[in-house]
Amino acid sequence: MSALLETRDLSKFFGGLYATNGVSLAIEAGEVRCLIGPNGAGKSTLFKLIIGTYQPSGGQVFFDGHDITPLESHRRVNQGLSIKFQVPGIFLELGVEQNLRIALQRKVAPARMNDETERLLAFLDLAPSRHLAAGNLSHGQQQWLEIGMAIALQPKLLLLDEPTAGMSPEETFKTGELVKRLNADGMTIVVIEHDMTFVRQIARKVTVLHFGKVFLEGTLDQVVNNDDVARIYLGKE
Amino acid sequence: MLATVIGFLYQFADTFAFLILSSVGLAIIFGMMGVINLAHGEFIMCGAYVTVLTARAGLPLPLAMVLGALTAGIIGMLIEYFVIRRLYTRLFDSIVATWAISLIATQGMLIVVGPSIEGLKTPFGSFDLAGLSFSWYRILLPVIALLILGGIYWLFMKTPFGVRARATIQNPSMARALGVDTDRVYALTFGLGAALAGLTGALYAPTMTTVPTMGSAFIVQSFVTVVVGGADVLLGAAPAAAVLAFIQSVLTASYGQLIGQVGLLLTVIVVVRVLPKGISGWMLRGSN
Amino acid sequence: MNWLSRFNGPQTLGEGGVFWSLFVVTVIVLATVPLYAEFFIVNNLAYFLLWTFMALGLSLIWGHAGILSFGQTAFFGLAGYGYGVISINLGDAHGLTWVAFVGALILPTLLAAVVGYFMFYGGVRDVFVGIVTLSITLVMETFMAQTAGPEWAIGTARLNGFNGMSGMPPLTIPWFGDDSIMLDGNPFYWFVLALVVVVYLALRWLVNSRFGNVLVAIRENPDRAEMLGYNVRLYQLAVFTIGGTLAGISGVLYTTWGSYITPSAMGLTAAALPIVWTAAGGRKDITTTLVATVFLLWVSQTLAVKGAQYALVLMGVLLLVVVLLAPDGLVLLVVRGIGRVFRRGQPAGSNNGAL
Repeated sequence: MSALLETRDLSKFFGGLYATNGVSLAIEAGEVRCLIGPNGAGKSTLFKLIIGTYQPSGGQVFFDGHDITPLESHRRVNQGLSIKFQVPGIFLELGVEQNLRIALQRKVAPARMNDETERLLAFLDLAPSRHLAAGNLSHGQQQWLEIGMAIALQPKLLLLDEPTAGMSPEETFKTGELVKRLNADGMTIVVIEHDMTFVRQIARKVTVLHFGKVFLEGTLDQVVNNDDVARIYLGKE
Repeated sequence: MLATVIGFLYQFADTFAFLILSSVGLAIIFGMMGVINLAHGEFIMCGAYVTVLTARAGLPLPLAMVLGALTAGIIGMLIEYFVIRRLYTRLFDSIVATWAISLIATQGMLIVVGPSIEGLKTPFGSFDLAGLSFSWYRILLPVIALLILGGIYWLFMKTPFGVRARATIQNPSMARALGVDTDRVYALTFGLGAALAGLTGALYAPTMTTVPTMGSAFIVQSFVTVVVGGADVLLGAAPAAAVLAFIQSVLTASYGQLIGQVGLLLTVIVVVRVLPKGISGWMLRGSN
Repeated sequence: MNWLSRFNGPQTLGEGGVFWSLFVVTVIVLATVPLYAEFFIVNNLAYFLLWTFMALGLSLIWGHAGILSFGQTAFFGLAGYGYGVISINLGDAHGLTWVAFVGALILPTLLAAVVGYFMFYGGVRDVFVGIVTLSITLVMETFMAQTAGPEWAIGTARLNGFNGMSGMPPLTIPWFGDDSIMLDGNPFYWFVLALVVVVYLALRWLVNSRFGNVLVAIRENPDRAEMLGYNVRLYQLAVFTIGGTLAGISGVLYTTWGSYITPSAMGLTAAALPIVWTAAGGRKDITTTLVATVFLLWVSQTLAVKGAQYALVLMGVLLLVVVLLAPDGLVLLVVRGIGRVFRRGQPAGSNNGAL
């Protein structure tokens, strides 16, 4: 098999309700894939199963050819996974630079630390705010900071859960360019997103989740022109 | 044989009552507000002191006990208003603050009333069965403990306050949006927890020496019951107390008091490893 | 000055030339106290300093790693009793008291490792850590208070229940011939002072190292730290164990200082004191914790002439005030206040949260 990430029949139920119900998904190396679907479709749950926050009720997760289902989150991360949460998960009281250093120190030797920190600060446009406490950043900047921490791990696969939530159109566009640049450098990226303009900007292939299942997979045009997709979004039965 | 069985049952009921009574006030405050009230033992002490002093001044014992509970409850609400409310967004700090209050109360009482006061006699006397002597009062305590649990169940499940309180735990901002005065709910909850602690002190006042540090005699048992019971008092307290009382009674009967205590602690450590959210967390597993 | 930079960093306050000069001067002044002060003062200073290890440990695990341990006194007491039992059995010849010293530090380290394993790998979080650790120290107090009978002896060492153990020998360094240097009086003071300096510097290095970065990351957001690939529970276990060892150092030194240890050293009141010192100092910084601990011990002792309860009420009030009004601690409040007086008219120095 050649997929970088593969979920097989991945299920998670909470108190009898399925959040995901037999999701089988294959992400090829080098892809940018968008996951879309109405609220409660199981998108964030799927990410949490992939990263190991939740243990699945059934099914497996394969990464780079290995079954990572039994592994704890930090071990999955060390194999090359990285995630940006839906709610910004940064170190609010620590400085912006310190936030990045904590992430960078996993991969970067002390001697190159300063250079790499500068590079990342510049890449994220956060250099002027470097000494601010991360909690004082704007919401969009917090999102970038967290993306910066996630990519500082130099992951093979990056999971982004609603990276543009709370961003202005300009910020959203910039985020899209950032994603494309990372992808051009060889990073595989899976994005949960609602903003269709953003999806069109970054992704070739889109997966629609609905009621915890894969509803449809295809190009964005195939998806938006599909009557069934329109129906689930507009709630018509 | 009969004596052993009766002796064991008596011991079990006594321990059960002690665990329930010592933990219920702590458990309500923790379950509702997430605050571990480290001044819990001092509310117990407060209830005991008020009971002893007013009873010796001539008030009938049951009234003195009610007064003890009320005093603790009112002090509890004052503390909630002046301290806890200001620390809602800093949970750890609110716990540390209650420890400060505990320190002030214990040592302050030492200064004000001295190391000990004359206690009360245990009421109702005792009776003999199968060659053993039993205290009527101590048989009454488990019954009262169960009544209190029943009362709490009624309060939280059947009254308007209970509905508001449960709404507040589930989702404070939603409850506020629906017109629940959550500040008032928290104040009443803290007051209720303190009053129940005071009642515990009042109930045990006739059976032990009243000293400023008496709260620490209850605090480990109350922690242990809350940890084993988990966050949901209504579900967790009774089974946790039953399990722990059984373990402690068996060990005490077989190996003495000390091993009973140590056994209790080991049980907690094992429970914590196996059921980190306690019995109520286990009963509610999968629902979240 | 490059070597000095290892002791500076985002997790500690004070890094300029002024600070380090002040540090050196303070150490020199403290080291020369026995040359001009009467023994009473030296002995008291040793007493104040010996408690700082427990407070520093709490600053490390609570202030830096965000683990709220209410039961550091469990490790303190275990180390104290450990030293008593081992040293009474082995005697003080041939430097065997150092075996007792090391043994007495291994015990709390092991206890902390075991308790930490059960808590962190059991998924015990937040306030429950506080309850479990406090329960442990209180149960240990109850346990030791019940060991009055003659059957409670380990070797030749009686545990003595509520009254506690006494009569353990001080630390001794074997010297040429039959001489040995007994570490009591001035030598004990110098030993404690040296240990404080070493531990202080070591902790400054530790909290500013990569390890220290991970600790504050866990305090701020354990989930994010895990998602950066850090084994959060292992770090928590490690730092909790170090905190246990540090509390143990205080326990051993306390026991050798007064040649006694009692169960009340593990009681509720005793357990509250490290919390007071650390919180009042400003738990997120090693230096402020150290300064506040020594200062508050001095205040307590001065007040205790009237009765220990007066000092303890004050400690309680202080803790309450700090929590309500000065969450960053009193030391920082005072320092900033002084700074404001000096820099009148200029904008107040920003610390940009990097404490």
